[in-house]
Amino acid sequence: MWISKQIPCVLVLGLLLQTEPLSAADDQLQWHGFLSQAVVHTNDNNVGGHSDDGLGLDMREVGANVSYRPNGDWLFSGQLLARWAGASDEGDPRVDYAFADRTLISDDSRRIGIQVGKVKNPYGLYNTTRDVAHTRPGILMPQSVYLDRIRDFYLAAPGVSLYGNHVHADWEINWRVNAMRPETDSKDLEHLFMLRDSPGSYHGRNSWLGQILAERDGGKLRLGLTLGQVKARYRPGMPDVFSAGESTLKPRLLSLEWNSENWSITGEYGRIRNQGRGYGPFGAGLEDPNTVETWYLQGTYRLDPALQVYLRRDAFYLNRKDRHGAGFAAATGLPPYLGYAEGWVLGARRDLGAWAFSGEVHRTEGTGWLSPMDTPLLSQRKNWRMLLLQAAYRF
Amino acid sequence: MRLAFRWAGLGLAGLLALQAGAVDVIANRSVPVSQLSQANARAIFGMRQVKWPDGSLIRVFVLPDGHPLHSALCKERLNLYPYQLRQSWDRLVYSGMAQAPVMVESETELISKVAATPGAVGYASRAPSNEKIRVIHVD
Repeated sequence: MWISKQIPCVLVLGLLLQTEPLSAADDQLQWHGFLSQAVVHTNDNNVGGHSDDGLGLDMREVGANVSYRPNGDWLFSGQLLARWAGASDEGDPRVDYAFADRTLISDDSRRIGIQVGKVKNPYGLYNTTRDVAHTRPGILMPQSVYLDRIRDFYLAAPGVSLYGNHVHADWEINWRVNAMRPETDSKDLEHLFMLRDSPGSYHGRNSWLGQILAERDGGKLRLGLTLGQVKARYRPGMPDVFSAGESTLKPRLLSLEWNSENWSITGEYGRIRNQGRGYGPFGAGLEDPNTVETWYLQGTYRLDPALQVYLRRDAFYLNRKDRHGAGFAAATGLPPYLGYAEGWVLGARRDLGAWAFSGEVHRTEGTGWLSPMDTPLLSQRKNWRMLLLQAAYRF
Repeated sequence: MRLAFRWAGLGLAGLLALQAGAVDVIANRSVPVSQLSQANARAIFGMRQVKWPDGSLIRVFVLPDGHPLHSALCKERLNLYPYQLRQSWDRLVYSGMAQAPVMVESETELISKVAATPGAVGYASRAPSNEKIRVIHVD
């Protein structure tokens, strides 16, 4: 029933190795790509390598995609990606997505279609292209809503995606529902759920994510709602204190964006209900239901079309009912500020043709979104600052 | 004084009217459409609508983002800003959902591409006198 991991690879390879001359015009077969390199400096804590009082250089993305549209009904797309982000991502090349897209219905006012393969999951306004620097609202994704530690749950996954696009007067409604199985091969999930690198590993279970996005006046106003249920099963190691449990995340995310010629205001507010079960006698901490609360609000001002400055307030709470971590500290013996992060981000971006150069400064209280793979829990500091510079290219 | 304002107002209105006529959506003669709603035009230039009513493939040709004629198309015909179109193309192209429009460097090249490509749509500062091209009214 579920498409195995190999099929998308074969699809992409097939497209890449297409040796038969295509009779189609060059616009029907397209190549695009992107790359970025960031430099990080922090006064405490590590992001993207050894940034603490030094320079972290392990933040880089390289990707290339190919797409082929033989006619108005079919589209074949695939993208390869390598990403470096400190210890949690070390550049293993992977298939970012690879699917066949079939338009089922298309007329003046609507288009409905289906995609099968490794499909991109909808989550908020930015998730589908979160690894492409040019499309992000800053150098780092807002870590509240787009927490890198659980990116595997929301990224692309083998499955099926049904989507629609409806035009009605000044409104355009886009919706998408994905049934898939997340690829959860990062140790970050264990750190998040179990607060340690456990001997076992997580494996995705049948999950779904859906989104409806309404745009008024060509996107001057954009309103979105994302819902879903994503699951992963823990496969214990030998030996292991935990049994074969299962964790379910139920995200609800509201998105709002307003665009004018010079200003864009973007805000997203999300809650993720997290519940585990079946972890055995030592799994009580994993089975307590809790709700993660996340939001950010960003104002972007364009001084001219190629120069923008932005200011963002970003907040992440591991437990909505224990925002500043008192209960977390009591239960785990760890410092309370590991359970949340509140920060300001000020940045600027200059576009020069296919290039974009950005710089941003962060001032954060708490380390809730920080990866313990770069900064072990007990050496995380409460108040910290960060400077990031990035050069990005795309074609 | 009041009269001066009125004259200034009229002058401005006149300028705007001239501006509004500064760009036309054009298509290859084969395109089975002579009129589009603004919402449909947005969906086409936004690469979200890919077929003409007769099922043939829509081929979109554009000028670079900073080109004055591209700005004019976005603002006057599509009622959006060039950066919005760029953002929505990027979101589609780097997630595999759609393909990018073909970008050409000059208006002359754009006109000749539209004339030569079945299903093509683009824009020009004035309706070219080319029998292979038709003007599409957007309202």
